[in-house]
Amino acid sequence: MSKRQRDTREHARRAAELRRRVQARRTRMRRAVAANVAVVVVFAGLVVGWLAGVGEDTPAPAPAADDTTTATVVAAVTGVPVAVLDAVGASGVQKVPDAIAGQPALTESGKPLVVYIGAEYCPFCAAQRWPMVVALSRFGTFSGLRVSASAADDVYPNTPTLSFHGSTYTSRYLAFQGVETNTNVRVGRQYGPLDPLTAQQQQIMAKYNAPPYVDANSAGAIPFVDFGNRALTAGSSFSPQLLAGMSAADVAAALSDKDSAVGRAVTANANAITALLCRLTGGQPGEVCAGPAVTAFNGRFDDVTAA
Amino acid sequence: MSRPRSATAVSVHEPLVQPWVPVVSLVLAALGLAVSGYLTYEHFTASTTLACPDTGTWNCVTVTTSAQSKLFGIPVALLGLGYFAAMLVLSLPAMWRSRRSEIRRGRLALAAGGVLFVGYLVIAELFVLDAICVWCTAAHALALGLFGVVAVGTAYADPTDLEARDL
Repeated sequence: MSKRQRDTREHARRAAELRRRVQARRTRMRRAVAANVAVVVVFAGLVVGWLAGVGEDTPAPAPAADDTTTATVVAAVTGVPVAVLDAVGASGVQKVPDAIAGQPALTESGKPLVVYIGAEYCPFCAAQRWPMVVALSRFGTFSGLRVSASAADDVYPNTPTLSFHGSTYTSRYLAFQGVETNTNVRVGRQYGPLDPLTAQQQQIMAKYNAPPYVDANSAGAIPFVDFGNRALTAGSSFSPQLLAGMSAADVAAALSDKDSAVGRAVTANANAITALLCRLTGGQPGEVCAGPAVTAFNGRFDDVTAA
Repeated sequence: MSRPRSATAVSVHEPLVQPWVPVVSLVLAALGLAVSGYLTYEHFTASTTLACPDTGTWNCVTVTTSAQSKLFGIPVALLGLGYFAAMLVLSLPAMWRSRRSEIRRGRLALAAGGVLFVGYLVIAELFVLDAICVWCTAAHALALGLFGVVAVGTAYADPTDLEARDL
């Protein structure tokens, strides 16, 4: 065989080999693309199924408390023995509201205004309402508080609490707005709407529940409390885990036991809020603001001025 | 002394991967490592973030503190961190240039495993927890993207080239 013939054969072999490789690559690439398309189709199907409500179920919320239970719970929370509050003082408090400076005072009818914004589904709101109610009850009177619980299908399910929805608060010293934006029951994929924010409350959320007043990661989160534009708190002051498995009546009963973990957590954080509110009211009422429960926080809220 | 490659063998040699594949896979793996690192940090410090986001569905706390946030006792965020760290190494240009089939198959298998794991997590989010964590979704999207790139990159090379060490 001549060299020319050998080269011709070699050229043909190489061409055939390249054609085979090109064809094989096309096949492999088609399989790879098909695998990618399959992945996209499967995940798109999952999302479409979720949006269409496949597997949607609404767990039953915790059963509503009867009138007697509600009255017992509300009486216990709004009337925690002063001796217990004084005995607990500031022990175990890890988080107190943060003072803010240079802002116009938030008032209503000439009184410092405290705005609480939360939702009934939220377990952290559920935890925070206990010390809020205990503290505010030392300055005024609630009516219309209702036993409730956080959502059954959220983290820390069925955390017992009281709802501010439909309640009113009267006080010589303070004004209070308690807003529950959503229920604890889903309507479709979202929790049902409840109390719409007023224009003023929307402004408060937009300005103060955002950097630099709160961490960027928790901006807009609830519970959020504005204490007369003199101090803010975002999130609950103790973990809802502490209330796991308890009923509202159990929690209410624990509030008169200074040795119980729940009683100490709620009352100590209530004392912190009380001490802050005493700064807003200029030390009124004296019997509250001069007591050991408040003086235990001496020096903690020196930056807060009367609203 | 190695035998010199024949002109014929060299001429049919092709690159083992498209030039863009190592770059894109490396970027996706690096982003995934950053996101899963953040999620791991959040997982271990979640107790300090005692608040609900302002909607019920977009809720990282629900997702990252759920029973589904751990697999066999290991936080899935940590598993994600390990997955993206491994993919980052396997996506280095030197790894894409390697002819070792165990590296190429291992990378593809790991990427496919990532897709299956993401499927489990997405089902848990949508149909068990009914809550979506934006950061988790970002990690899921990056894992799916990695699979797509790895699959296309792996399919490009001819198996003959992988065996052509001595040509």
